[in-house]
Amino acid sequence: MSLFWYLSVSFVLFFCGIAVMIARKNIIAILLGIELILNAAALNFAAYTRFLNQNLDGHIMSLFIIIIAAAEAAVGLAIVIRFYQIRESIHIDDATQLQH
Amino acid sequence: MALNYLANIGRFIPELLACVTMLGLILIEATYGERDKDKKILSAASDLGLVMVLGSLIVQFNDTPTAIFSNAVVIDPFSTFMKIIMTLGTLGAVYLNGQSRDVHQGVKAEYNILALGVLVGAMLLASANNMLILYIGIEILSILSYVMASLNKIDDRSSEAGLKYVLYGGVSAGIMLFGISHIFGVLGTIQFTGMGALLQSLSDSQVAIIIPSFLLFFAGIGYKIACVPFHMWSPDVYEGSPLPVTTFFAIVPKLAGMALIVRISFVFFSHDGLLSQSWLGLLVIVSALTMTVGNVSALKQKSIKRMLAYSSISHAGFMLAGAVVVDSVGVRAIAFYGVTYLFMTLAAFYIVSFVQDKYGNDHFERFNGLMYRYPLMAVLMCLVMFSLAGVPPLAGFVAKFNILSALIGHGNYTLAIVAGLNSVVSLYYYLKIVRLMVFKDAESNEKIEGFGFVNQGIIAALSLPILVLGIFWNQIFQVVDKAVLFIQ
Repeated sequence: MSLFWYLSVSFVLFFCGIAVMIARKNIIAILLGIELILNAAALNFAAYTRFLNQNLDGHIMSLFIIIIAAAEAAVGLAIVIRFYQIRESIHIDDATQLQH
Repeated sequence: MALNYLANIGRFIPELLACVTMLGLILIEATYGERDKDKKILSAASDLGLVMVLGSLIVQFNDTPTAIFSNAVVIDPFSTFMKIIMTLGTLGAVYLNGQSRDVHQGVKAEYNILALGVLVGAMLLASANNMLILYIGIEILSILSYVMASLNKIDDRSSEAGLKYVLYGGVSAGIMLFGISHIFGVLGTIQFTGMGALLQSLSDSQVAIIIPSFLLFFAGIGYKIACVPFHMWSPDVYEGSPLPVTTFFAIVPKLAGMALIVRISFVFFSHDGLLSQSWLGLLVIVSALTMTVGNVSALKQKSIKRMLAYSSISHAGFMLAGAVVVDSVGVRAIAFYGVTYLFMTLAAFYIVSFVQDKYGNDHFERFNGLMYRYPLMAVLMCLVMFSLAGVPPLAGFVAKFNILSALIGHGNYTLAIVAGLNSVVSLYYYLKIVRLMVFKDAESNEKIEGFGFVNQGIIAALSLPILVLGIFWNQIFQVVDKAVLFIQ
């Protein structure tokens, strides 16, 4: 396995994430797309550290990405729950109060 | 080693104080619970903490620049100066939170806690010296901001604002990280120190990877300061959030992002070369677009809050134009712009907030005939509006003039002309408020409770620097001049 394959997987993850965010209208699905993008970045960091340089910077970055992604998902889901309780919908097209 | 860390912590006191204050506030809030008297203790504690942070920052201002914690964080006068501005902004927003009726009574304490947390993130961002600290800073800033935006839990506009903030924020953070990961892959380090030299020695194929990576990286920061391709969230979030939160968003995250952009332009791109030219070209285009789109969209707004949101976008464009000039003149112009922007924004939002508390909305008509009911407030609002538009004897003019002269000194005439034209456009919507206040009859003669004696005094005190800095700008320049030191 060379670096190329790892990077290809991460590119695929990244574009899947972008595609999910553009195509899906469900807010939970959009949050999942964000997770895909973050994981693509984490994978990149780990792969670059493994193949190109041996210091631990990249590994530490990937660990922090995982932790912070969890925090972000927690806050994001809490807000989505709040939105659902008020609107009874998790469809992004229902978030139209603020457009003039 | 241990001693070294202790010495490092000595330089990190402001951030630690902010953290301790935040934790203390959480404890007080948790122990006192529902009783009414805790509100006073809480606001006193947060004010005390912020004043202490401010004091330690001022003490630190004249220190020599150092990098601490294994080069992760750099404490230099520029970052300290930006931190002072941001702390002042937080202090103003926290006071407004105490007065405003837009934030529900039950969550006022939480506002203070979250604001301190965001301040910590903003401080980290202003003094970040590697990609990890940058990312952690941006995420502390963003994640807590999401909560702040949806602070009024039962208000559907507020939770929608939070929702939009989460979605845009998460996406842009992810895209930024993807960019950073490729920058790391090419350069092999996340430290800022020495990165500028490394960028010089890249082969052509490496440059081909790193230019799109920097584009992705810019998306993340651009989102934080709401510059144009990434500004769509900003008017919605600003309008949906409670007004004290909007005040806070307009100042702290924006200036933190600006400090970061200045540092990145300096550390990475102060050498001449293809990369620097493309980065600066990007900044020129983005700043021109940001100014224009912000101003043109502000023209047709009905809500003053939304108008101020668009105007803060265009001010971010102006500050970005200062970052195009990568030398001490540009940094000085940005630092001065930050100071004036702080006072103008705070004063404008204070007045709008008290009017909105009275009438329940902030449409332009609510300001009709304010001149005949609260002459002092109307005059100060006129002052702020003229200053935001950049009319001569006021601070906003000096700030804009500095940016323009830095641009012209740098030979960037096109951007300077765009900036000048934008000031003219912005006059239209700022003066619309002035016209309504002076030439329209008052809708009613009811008292606005918010404009008590103390609050009027505070608004006057906030507007005073606008006048003073406009005339005696030389004095503040001597302070700002010290702030342009950097560790390369």
